[in-house]
Amino acid sequence: MSKRNWALLAGAVIVATFGWLLYGGLDRNVVFFLTPKELLAKGAGGVDVPVRLGGLVKPGSVQWNAQTLDLRFTVSDGTREVSVQEKGAPPQMFRDGMGVVVEGRYGRDGVFHATNLMVRHSNEYHPPKPGERPEEMYRTLIKGSAS
Amino acid sequence: MNWKRAAIAAFAAAPVIALFAWGFTRDPRDIPSPLPGRTAPPFSLEVFSSGEAPLALPVGDTVRLGSLRGRVVVLNFWASWCLACRDEHATVSAVARQYAGRPVQFVGVLYNDRVPPALDWIKEMGGQSYPSVNDPGARTAIDYGLYGVPETYFISGDGRVAYKNTGPATADVITRVVDSLIAALPAGARSTAGARSTAGGARGTP
Amino acid sequence: MNGLVARDALLLSLVIVVVGAAAVPLAGRVRQRAQVLDIAYGAVFANFALVSVATMAMVVALVSHDFSVSYVAQVGSRETPLFYTIISLWGALEGSILFWAWVLSLYAAIVVWRHRRRPGALVPYTAMALMVIALFFAILLIGPANPFQPVSPVPADGPGPNPLLQNHILMAVHPPLLYLGYVGMSVPFAFAVGAVCAGEVARDEWIRLARPWTLVSWGFLSAAIIAGMWWSYEVLGWGGYWAWDPVENASLLPWLTATAYLHSVMVQERRGMLRLWNLNLLVGTFVLTILGTFLTRSGILSSVHAFTTGTIGYYFLGFIAFVLVSSLVLVAGSSDQLRTAGRMESAASRETVFLLNNLFLTTFMFTVLVGTLYPLVAEAVRGVKVSVGEPFFNRMTLPMVVVLLFLMGVGPALPWGAASPHALRTKLLPPLAGAVVLGLFALGMGVGGPIGVLVFACVGYAAVATAREYGVAMAARHAAQHEAWPVALARVVRSNPRRYGGYLAHVGVFLVALGIAASATMRSEREATLKPGESMTLAGHTVRLREVWGRDEAQRSVIGVTLDVVQHGVAVGVIEPRMNFYPTSQEPVPTPDVRSSFSGDLYANLMAFDQNGAHATVRLIVQPLVPWIWAGGLIVVLGAVVGLTPARRRAAVASASPAPERVPVMATPSEGVV
Repeated sequence: MSKRNWALLAGAVIVATFGWLLYGGLDRNVVFFLTPKELLAKGAGGVDVPVRLGGLVKPGSVQWNAQTLDLRFTVSDGTREVSVQEKGAPPQMFRDGMGVVVEGRYGRDGVFHATNLMVRHSNEYHPPKPGERPEEMYRTLIKGSAS
Repeated sequence: MNWKRAAIAAFAAAPVIALFAWGFTRDPRDIPSPLPGRTAPPFSLEVFSSGEAPLALPVGDTVRLGSLRGRVVVLNFWASWCLACRDEHATVSAVARQYAGRPVQFVGVLYNDRVPPALDWIKEMGGQSYPSVNDPGARTAIDYGLYGVPETYFISGDGRVAYKNTGPATADVITRVVDSLIAALPAGARSTAGARSTAGGARGTP
Repeated sequence: MNGLVARDALLLSLVIVVVGAAAVPLAGRVRQRAQVLDIAYGAVFANFALVSVATMAMVVALVSHDFSVSYVAQVGSRETPLFYTIISLWGALEGSILFWAWVLSLYAAIVVWRHRRRPGALVPYTAMALMVIALFFAILLIGPANPFQPVSPVPADGPGPNPLLQNHILMAVHPPLLYLGYVGMSVPFAFAVGAVCAGEVARDEWIRLARPWTLVSWGFLSAAIIAGMWWSYEVLGWGGYWAWDPVENASLLPWLTATAYLHSVMVQERRGMLRLWNLNLLVGTFVLTILGTFLTRSGILSSVHAFTTGTIGYYFLGFIAFVLVSSLVLVAGSSDQLRTAGRMESAASRETVFLLNNLFLTTFMFTVLVGTLYPLVAEAVRGVKVSVGEPFFNRMTLPMVVVLLFLMGVGPALPWGAASPHALRTKLLPPLAGAVVLGLFALGMGVGGPIGVLVFACVGYAAVATAREYGVAMAARHAAQHEAWPVALARVVRSNPRRYGGYLAHVGVFLVALGIAASATMRSEREATLKPGESMTLAGHTVRLREVWGRDEAQRSVIGVTLDVVQHGVAVGVIEPRMNFYPTSQEPVPTPDVRSSFSGDLYANLMAFDQNGAHATVRLIVQPLVPWIWAGGLIVVLGAVVGLTPARRRAAVASASPAPERVPVMATPSEGVV
């Protein structure tokens, strides 16, 4: 084999190795966007892998303990539901019925352990209760301390 | 120049370009969502601009979605500070006028704005044929998951969101959607509801 | 009125650019070559003047709240402070395209002005390439991204800029730097096009002309990336600075290829090798800047930074297809003329290190590119919606970063050509001490993970090797000329600014690497709900909630908490994270507060608050060495600035101090002038 062909072969091997590594890396590290229905349909394949779960916060399901910072709610897509648990404070505008995307893993305990919670505006959700208007959430505070 | 090699190289670009071109048919923000066809969130909002006869409703009246059952509802979210709303204004206003006497209710919903500049805006734009309601605190906008203004929601006679138009609405889209929703109304509603529209059928029962 | 002038200016600039670009190929065919070239060059200057007029008109319109101009009506508001009103010039799509066109016209004008007297077809064709690129932006500004559309009737007020973009002062810095870097990369690309069109691609002169422009753009791009990381850290509220977001990746991609080029071009200049490769890197860098713009402006990929979309995406698609095809034709078509003149003499040489550096930088680039585009491919091919997580990027790229850091220690120590075994031993072994010291230090400090420790060790190795480069040269001067050490340093740098500027940039990279390795692996965070008077402790930092407060500002409402930073029971300062509520946004904008020190940052973000101020939930993050990243970025930019200063004439140096030439380190003569 000529020197040039050797170089070509070496190049091909390097590119192939790189491609294989890349493919393997991608295969293990992609995060799927799923709805509760799609997640549950995956069965064991959906357990303990990183997932972005999209859906609506089921009305009446939100529980937040300000002291332990334990946030629990149920995400629903209208047909199936998944309970979600997160450590941290809910976003300021978080409320029943709103569209959310939660990032995390679905555990063997049947609870979705979220590491990141994103509020979505492009979904339709149910009406907030009176007194939950965005401005009401902070107006009292401004009047209270304005001097 | 080695044109043969150049031509081969040029073809190599084709799949990449094809991929991007395909990408345009997709909206990356659009996550799988079960929402189309869902029940439209109820609202009851106060009219601040009456609109023009025959579509007018008295200022101060409350428009309730619940009492509009059996009619097609077109909710158009707008604001006086919104540029694209200016583009679509004349169109929406004219199309709404065409549907006078049909079982359709056009409602403008003011988003994140105050009433005085909104009224000035309507005057400036040469009027608005249909009534507009105020949405203090953008509560209804949040319910509907408004992404920005203008956005137009088409609600069917049985109270479901049938279609949502983001950005300026065109006459073509409005008539196509509204016509198909009218056609889906029960036969009785199609003919009788027409009379109610001028009588302010939106005036609410609790 | 104002808008009318600007629209006419843009329309005229479109015509002029077309005429100017068309004049260049004509010039070679007619007898009045000089006059036709004057037209082409004149077009470049006229374009600069006209786009400047349009840009100024936009600034005036923004400042005077002229809502009859569509862009002002879109991003302006009477409540927005003047400063943010001015910088909203680049806050939304149309304005940023206008600004982009202006920067491009500025670059083109400088290029033509500097080289206008150079004979030959290279500069005219370079000007032509720049005008073709300018034509694309002119078309955008006349068509789908026209910021000067008349609005009638004129609104009384506008919604103001995107809240995220008017929340921090870095928004004034990051976008212009990014545009200066991105747009600057069109200049070396234009030189490459010019060289091919003029038939001068086989001669290396164009490389010499293009190099400083690459360095200028590279410096701006480096600064922009660091400023972008800083903005993200200060504004987005999650305490991180890099999330492998498509927009961030888009700025990194051309930086990687440009960095590779800055190294490999030396191989071409010194040894006549890698000519085709360098052409590829230049063209690739430009394609990547356009690709980056395309990805972020067209809305094809989702990102926190993405602009709103419209028909503009199709124009970009057309342009990127044009650029991609013409670039590939250009490179492949001229590949025959770019045969390597020199050849490798030994594996133990600086050439080898540069080759490896290029291999890893381009592999790095491809990895990031594939990861960024994969969601698109997956949806097209497999029909699934996915996102590529940070673990992919981190796992794939961090080992490459470690190798690159190590090479930064090996490269400067090796001579061109071939190194003797003795030289290898004396130069490559001592820095190992630095690696051991910093590696042990990292272990002692608690840097987590093998990669983190390796980064420290490699930086230790490379830092010692780099210090040695400065030290030996300075010592030679000190000994021969009895110069004071600082004077010796200044003279050493001035004797070969390109080389020592490069090493300075390396030092900056070391600091950035240490900052990232330490802050990413030793981050600790805690979230707690506090009542006034209560305190929380994290990694030796204690904060106590003083009060929850709210106030109205002109353009927004602010809710904030005041936290006392307590040391040994005494309050030593305050930290005030806030939430800013803008009228046009449903969601409050988090506004974290950071207390920086040499050893690291205390970062506080307000997560939730009680409407009556009874309690508030605060997230504290402690990350060591974060400020080192910003400092390192500054040093990288300084390195680029030093590298751009003209070298003191070699003859003068040689006659004044023959001694350094005999010192082994200086066996490599300077790499030539910029």
